[in-house]
Amino acid sequence: MSQVSVCLAKNTDYQNIRKTIENSIDLIDFKFKKNAVNVLIKPNLNYYYDYSTGYTTDPNFVSAVIDVVRERITSDPNVSIIESDASAMKCKYAFKILGYEKLSVEKGVPLINLSTQKSEKTNVKVLNEEFKFSIPDVIKKADILINIPKIKYMGDVKITCAMKNIFGCNAYEKKYKYHKSLSFAVVGINKLIKTDLVIIDGIIVNGIVTKKLGLVMASEDPVAIDSAAASLLGLNPNSIKFLDVAVKEKLGNKNYVIKGEPLDTIKKIVPKKELNHKLYDFMVKNYMKIFK
Amino acid sequence: MNKVKIGLIGTGSMGQVHLLNCMKIKNAEITGVADKSKISLKIAKNLGIKNIYTNYEELIKNKEVDAVIISLPNFLHCECATLAAEANKHVFIEKPLARNVEECEKICSCINNTKVKAMVGYPLRFDPKYIELKKNIDDGMLGSILMASFTNIASGPFSSRGQFGRPAPVPSWWFDKELLGGGALLDLGIHSINLFRYYFGEIIDVQSQLGYRFNLDLEDHAVCSIKFRSGTLATIRVGWFSLDLIRSLELNGTSKNLIYTQSSPKKLIIVKNDVKKKLGMSSDETSFYRELKYFIDCISSDIQPVPSVDDGLSDVKVVAEAYRKALRI
Repeated sequence: MSQVSVCLAKNTDYQNIRKTIENSIDLIDFKFKKNAVNVLIKPNLNYYYDYSTGYTTDPNFVSAVIDVVRERITSDPNVSIIESDASAMKCKYAFKILGYEKLSVEKGVPLINLSTQKSEKTNVKVLNEEFKFSIPDVIKKADILINIPKIKYMGDVKITCAMKNIFGCNAYEKKYKYHKSLSFAVVGINKLIKTDLVIIDGIIVNGIVTKKLGLVMASEDPVAIDSAAASLLGLNPNSIKFLDVAVKEKLGNKNYVIKGEPLDTIKKIVPKKELNHKLYDFMVKNYMKIFK
Repeated sequence: MNKVKIGLIGTGSMGQVHLLNCMKIKNAEITGVADKSKISLKIAKNLGIKNIYTNYEELIKNKEVDAVIISLPNFLHCECATLAAEANKHVFIEKPLARNVEECEKICSCINNTKVKAMVGYPLRFDPKYIELKKNIDDGMLGSILMASFTNIASGPFSSRGQFGRPAPVPSWWFDKELLGGGALLDLGIHSINLFRYYFGEIIDVQSQLGYRFNLDLEDHAVCSIKFRSGTLATIRVGWFSLDLIRSLELNGTSKNLIYTQSSPKKLIIVKNDVKKKLGMSSDETSFYRELKYFIDCISSDIQPVPSVDDGLSDVKVVAEAYRKALRI
């Protein structure tokens, strides 16, 4: 059974965040490949929303992960931060506005816009549906891919966390074109790109309100950690289609063992969407049907 | 009555608003649309616009066009407005009039040498609430207003954009100081500067502080204090940093204080127009619709509209002074 660690930072200064990240990795007994040369870190950058909104990965969190990676992989690996252009976001500006350019200079870590890299168009079948993704060469050459998502509610797929964040590894920028069949597309990209380690930046979480939680979760299994994250948001993982499809495609396990803080304790403090907001989502989604 | 034939130049987020509003105005007709985006032009064509252009020079040359709506990036305002005025087209131009005082002066000089009607788009001036406040001020309801404050916080260029319903990145000129001319103070502050000039008259001093939280060379938040000849002291607080929109006006008078706040709707209420009619709800007349309708009516009635380009110049002069005196924080 997959392991998911759940840890709370005592406060949100750099030292505490780093200590909590280390703790979360140790709890799942994750060991970095000692001879790793290329390590990629994939934060979640969403438009140009500041990390303090809970929508995007905090560059300070990424900074702490970089330090942990450099300490634990003694072969002096090349660490890079990756992201791609999206339908309504340009990496060039996201890196600058969200503080990643500063981080890049401070840590000597290159920022890679995957949309400008050499990539290969690759077909993938998910149950009966077929998708085409542009897989960057830089990802194929990586020894370790660390996925640092946020936990957020998201329309049709209900939750965006580890598996959805890998969607941003697709070099093709017009990602809205996949949204008709997003649950299957999310599984498709995860079939092509395997995450070695997921570390959730839950220092600030955006639910119905933004809340500083100091939460850090880790797992080697993106399906397991997304299932746990769904539970935290008050969602039944069995109601989330992409998790079902991911299990069928053998990408991971919806059953998991929690290490660290009990999930129920954290669930109580996570800012959840209220019923009226669910109703609102339903109204917007079905607006045409209702008023036609 | 002859319809005023309009050429829309630019179909970005404001251009789309003007296009849809213009189509609702009975004494106006959109004759042509100019934009670089082929997708936008295709959509305009599908909306029944007969002439589409990939450059605005061609639209301005069209003799059928009586007036143009300039909804372009700031760096193109001067070139486009002067070209249109020289071709005797009436001009509606989005705020700010231009990137800097020099460009604004060039526009004013050109337009004031013609007989064309020209107006700068300041929607607050067409919001019934702000118009009512002006009446209250002039009627003395608040006594002498010694202090005023306007807060305008939004996400600025940091949130997603759409292009006729499709997601699209914020255009790169939004992040280029040279092309934009200024940050949140020029983009948002100019609304309140114009409104306060309308309320309180001539400005005699400006001080400001500018904030740069998001690593651009454009200010993303600013506080500006203004002294009016009338004696009123005003502060303007603007920011591009929040997902939670707020626009708030506070007037402090010797007889009465008044606070008016508009914030993000907590729930979006979507009701079709015919349902609205049945329910007796108000029509879709937004301030953007009203300002455009007013501009078109001014053309039809041969009246010079306000806010004029000279007003636009005065507003940009205040912003320029605020930048000159600014403390970067």
